[in-house]
Amino acid sequence: MAGLVCEGLAKAYGGREVLRDVDLEVAPGTLTAILGASGSGKTTLLRVIMGFVEADAGSVRVDGELLAQAGRVHVSADRRAIGYVAQEGALFPHLSAGENVGFGLARAERKRGARIGEALALVGLDESYAARPSHELSGGEQRRVALARALAPRPRIVLLDEPFSGLDAGLRAETREAVLHALGEERATAVLVTHDQAEALSMGHEVAVLRGGRLAQRATPAVLYRTPVDVDVARFVGEANLLGGEARGGEVRCALGRLEVLNAGREGAVRVLVRPEQIRLSPASGNGAGAGEPAVAARVLEHVYYGADSVVRLSLEGAEGATVKARASGQELPGAGERVALSVNGPVVVFPAGSEQAGRP
Amino acid sequence: MAAAASSERLPRARRARGVARGRSRALVAASVAVALVVMLPVIVTIVQALEGGTGAALHSLDASSPRTLLLHTVLIALLASPLAGAIGVAAAWFVERTNLPARRLWTLLAVAPLTMPLFVTSYAWASIGTLTQGYLGAAGIIAFSYYPIVFLLVAGALRGMDPALEESARALGLNTRRTFFRVILPQLRPALLGGVLLVVLDTLVEFDAFVALRYQTFTVHIYAQYELSFSASGAAALSLFSIVVCVALLFAEARLRGGANYTRVSHGVRRPPARYRLGRATLPVLAGFLAGAGISVGIPVGTLVYWLTQSSRAGLEGASANLRYLWPATLTSVGLGLAGALIAVVFALPISLLAVRRRGRLATLLERSTYLSFALPDLVAAIALGYLTSHYAPGLYETVGLLVLAESILFVPFAVVALRATLGQIEPALEDSARSLGLGPLRAFARVTAPLARPGMAAAGVLVFAFVLGDLGTAQILLPPNMYTLGTEFEANASTVAFAAAAPFAAVLVGLAMLAAWVLMNRFGRVRSLGGG
Repeated sequence: MAGLVCEGLAKAYGGREVLRDVDLEVAPGTLTAILGASGSGKTTLLRVIMGFVEADAGSVRVDGELLAQAGRVHVSADRRAIGYVAQEGALFPHLSAGENVGFGLARAERKRGARIGEALALVGLDESYAARPSHELSGGEQRRVALARALAPRPRIVLLDEPFSGLDAGLRAETREAVLHALGEERATAVLVTHDQAEALSMGHEVAVLRGGRLAQRATPAVLYRTPVDVDVARFVGEANLLGGEARGGEVRCALGRLEVLNAGREGAVRVLVRPEQIRLSPASGNGAGAGEPAVAARVLEHVYYGADSVVRLSLEGAEGATVKARASGQELPGAGERVALSVNGPVVVFPAGSEQAGRP
Repeated sequence: MAAAASSERLPRARRARGVARGRSRALVAASVAVALVVMLPVIVTIVQALEGGTGAALHSLDASSPRTLLLHTVLIALLASPLAGAIGVAAAWFVERTNLPARRLWTLLAVAPLTMPLFVTSYAWASIGTLTQGYLGAAGIIAFSYYPIVFLLVAGALRGMDPALEESARALGLNTRRTFFRVILPQLRPALLGGVLLVVLDTLVEFDAFVALRYQTFTVHIYAQYELSFSASGAAALSLFSIVVCVALLFAEARLRGGANYTRVSHGVRRPPARYRLGRATLPVLAGFLAGAGISVGIPVGTLVYWLTQSSRAGLEGASANLRYLWPATLTSVGLGLAGALIAVVFALPISLLAVRRRGRLATLLERSTYLSFALPDLVAAIALGYLTSHYAPGLYETVGLLVLAESILFVPFAVVALRATLGQIEPALEDSARSLGLGPLRAFARVTAPLARPGMAAAGVLVFAFVLGDLGTAQILLPPNMYTLGTEFEANASTVAFAAAAPFAAVLVGLAMLAAWVLMNRFGRVRSLGGG
């Protein structure tokens, strides 16, 4: 069983640091999503692991084998036995889909063809695809064939570089499922690079957030979403309400009332993170919703409808100009201008006050 | 649900195609007109050949000597074209994909042989020794003078290749060498085949390159026959051979190429590909480039210097008497070159636009029909045009205008190749956007495509310019009496072994050729970059 360990990776291009002291560990058989905005260094990290780029510092190990150590060891990409799915697939245009899949196999295995069919089946394509010229495949099919090509030689780990970019929403979800299924079947250790937080959270066993060339946080999706390390990560991984507040003894007082703090220990002025889905709306009928905290009154400014749910922007009463976003079910939508009562569900996370500016990359 | 969606999609797709068809109708019409003009000499030659009766035509084809000579031509092509292909691909790969030192210099030297006047090269090779006067010389001149066309096309293809293809191959366990043969070379096939086709076709009708050699080819035989008998129909009948071979080659190449017209399947971020470090291979590779440049550029330039410095006093006196012709000859040559380049580019524009915008049988057919200008030796094409104008357009007969027309027809295929290399990189979406903003097709072309394609137009023009300067065969027939060019003056002196007198004319030609090579190196296959030139 294989695993990936990167330690202290750094890379600069002409004095501009692209990666700084990046440590990454991917457990055997798991998928880690590297999440970062464009220019965060995530593609460079992938290319260092792959061996296309030599790091200035640090090391890369797969299966305990040292593949790269800056200045001393550099195993070339073709000897790493690491699968690679390029952005948009990069299928060889002069070969058919099947020939693409068989490309990395030994001649005998390629001739036999069994593994080609197997790899195609892994990504949900039947044998008839083998003969298709690669330029006749749709975008989603191209990505699947590219993954099949990478998986066919049974690599130790698979790296995927924005494998779903350029696909429309429906196809994206479908292709995503096919990829997860294939990786799961093969029990492959995988690293996926993406700038899409929903993709990272839904696909990764772990998510590593890369920011300005540094690893900001690495955690399971749930931990990352619920307890981000700072305000920027909080905002990067999802919609966030950040309010001023006063923490004391495991509780925080803010415009949404007195709330329980998940990461207790900080006292005094803080920033409070409340996810929109934590805010519950109810009709403002005199005495509030009843159970728990007394409800806060607010007026609906506008809402954006998504079908299953919608995001409602609210102006808080009593707090000058403060607005929050709440996620409401698509069925019980209050109209603009309507008065509603808010309550917060579950504990919240607090950050030191003023960390918003300091936390910026 | 699915059925409803597809039936909704169908008319939309059909409508879009209808728009495209209407848009390119004018383009098709213009291309057909150009193709007809280019094919004019071929048509006239066929008529001329059959004028003396089919029996006479068949009789001249039956004679054994033309067949032997045709074999000679084929033998040259058999050696020269793979050689040119191999040198061109190797040079392009090293220049584009490795950290070879002084890459700009080597690029210039790899392009320069194409713009060199071939008759100068021919005299230079002939003066070396008997070995280079025969078969090896003939094939060598062709290979080393025309490999730049392969080089230019392949270098462009290498620049346009998605680096992710190569990286994927490496990730699948292929080393550099196997990646080259299994991924890169197959991608280069259309460029390579296109380049080699030009070399082969050119060999078929080449005359200038063999002018000073002692190796008889088919074309040389036609020239000799014509000089003996001045029989247009005799030369025409012999040319039926080359027409047949040319058409056969065009079909063969079309079959070989098949549907292969590799474009990037993915449109990911354009990242300059990593260059391979040559390391210990640097010196041998440099030696190879030096040898190639020595053979292709060093021999003609060195011979020229030798002629200028080693001549006898008498020879030099004769030469200085000749110098008063130098300036007028230069003016005539440059004027002819500019006019020929302009017309050839205008001819080539609709055809190359059609070829990149509408891939299909008609577009390919029209594009390849310009290659029929390779079906005739220059001399025969010139005779045909002279015959045509003397009968039907006497106003044009024996004018400079006819010569310019003939030269531009002759070199249109090269202009098409150069234009295609650039136009193919300009996304049709840009022109579509201009159309959507209310511009008509001509204005969309003038305001969007043409500015972006400027480097390609410059490359096409410069290429034709250089070829017109280096042309002898057509000028000798169609140049109006009492006019002379650098080429005709050089040949007049060189053929009487007055090399010192010939040298200044060759020096100007070579100087202009190097200038042309410089422009070609910077413009061929490039699109105008944003924010500059």
